[in-house]
Amino acid sequence: MATNTAKIIAKNIEMRFEDKHLFSADKLVFEQNKVIHLQGDNGCGKTTLMKLLAGFNQPTKGTIYAEGFAIAPWWRSNSITGKALYLHQHPYLFEGSVMYNLTYPLRFLTADKEQLSQRTEQAIDKAQLRHLLTQAASSLSGGEKQRLAIARAWIIQPKLLMLDEPTSNMDKHSQHLVLQMIVDLKQQGTGMLISSHQTCLLTQVCDHAWLVNNKTVTTDYVSEYTQTDDTSSQISATLNVSVG
Amino acid sequence: MNEGWLALIQQALSLLFSLDPEVWSIISVSFAVSFAALAITLLPSMVLGFLLAFTRFPGRWLVTNLIQTLQSIPTVVIGLLVYLLLTRMGPLGDLKWLFTQQGMILGQMLICAPVLVAMSQAAFTSVDRRAWETSRTLGAPAMSAIWAVCRELKVPLLLAIVAAFSRILTEIGCSMMVGGNIAGVTRNIPTAIALETSKGDFAQAIALGLVLLVLALILNFALGTLRGKAEPRSH
Repeated sequence: MATNTAKIIAKNIEMRFEDKHLFSADKLVFEQNKVIHLQGDNGCGKTTLMKLLAGFNQPTKGTIYAEGFAIAPWWRSNSITGKALYLHQHPYLFEGSVMYNLTYPLRFLTADKEQLSQRTEQAIDKAQLRHLLTQAASSLSGGEKQRLAIARAWIIQPKLLMLDEPTSNMDKHSQHLVLQMIVDLKQQGTGMLISSHQTCLLTQVCDHAWLVNNKTVTTDYVSEYTQTDDTSSQISATLNVSVG
Repeated sequence: MNEGWLALIQQALSLLFSLDPEVWSIISVSFAVSFAALAITLLPSMVLGFLLAFTRFPGRWLVTNLIQTLQSIPTVVIGLLVYLLLTRMGPLGDLKWLFTQQGMILGQMLICAPVLVAMSQAAFTSVDRRAWETSRTLGAPAMSAIWAVCRELKVPLLLAIVAAFSRILTEIGCSMMVGGNIAGVTRNIPTAIALETSKGDFAQAIALGLVLLVLALILNFALGTLRGKAEPRSH
């Protein structure tokens, strides 16, 4: 049965760098309404896999395609780039103010301007960036940059979002703010792929796990950290504490 | 001796400020030709610089090195090449562009393009790849993402434009050979300075030299200000 669920599907992919075999996978489905924890040791290829799904790189073998997205007009490429939003481990912020960076993607969206403006205001409050709006984005700390990048994603409300080691630069306070936005996006149906070689507050939001190990991506990996009712209540408690 | 120098500089300034038609005609020819050459070559050269930096294709190494080589070819050799192309017996002889401003523009385009391509390629190569990826993943179409990358590189790209413009505005070999130094038509600042100096009319030569000097000062101070504002990027 055909569905409108947005997804990116990778089939029989293999990734090599010259002679080095990085990983292979038979079938990967990254789709809406699922939050996946991408696990694996440093250097195993987690970032490379995410960049393949983001359309920045091509696999050595196999195909990657998207389903459930609007078809681009004839003058634009229908590639998978831009279908899933990818956030770098160290987010890139454009030269300019925090406000410029927050509103940068709005020009590419077709949604109602009034609604986008309201969402931007909400994102500023959620990420606690209001006092920084006129500052140069380059002057922000690592945690503030990450909050800004995730707030920017929150405004767009993407169908699919990939976060590459999102907590690597963040203190507890920033982690709580980001967690709240991630939980929001999850409730809105955004499919997420969160890479981390260790568990953190954010990975507890995940309800599925992929593991990159022994040059293979395992998708039915049962993680000891995959969300249970206990972790759900733990997240709720954390959010209540941080918000309250 | 000093009085002689002072008198010459006074005469030069007087030529400039009294809006001497001959001097200002030379200045206008110089700027018209060089702006036209820069305007025509700017976009294609930047696009080629971008492609050389971001794409991999067979022969890329050869093209890159050829462009580097073209930068160091003396302008008089380029002048000779354009002269041979435009002479009545040459492949472009039917255009009748020899000793015209169009011919000078063609010559200056060949001087300007390698500088623009090589410097923009260097700028694009140095760009943080995340700028392109971030722009694309946030939904920017390819052209908007290229614009976003260019915006991040505004200082090195402006440097490339200034370097290319300076090279063509001050070159003499090609202008002399292809333009022929015809008064009011193809006489530009460098060819006029050479001519007036050889005639011993230093006042006009100094007046024209001052124009180049002031322009160089303005451009470099403007760029220095921009460069000063640009902050080094860290993760």
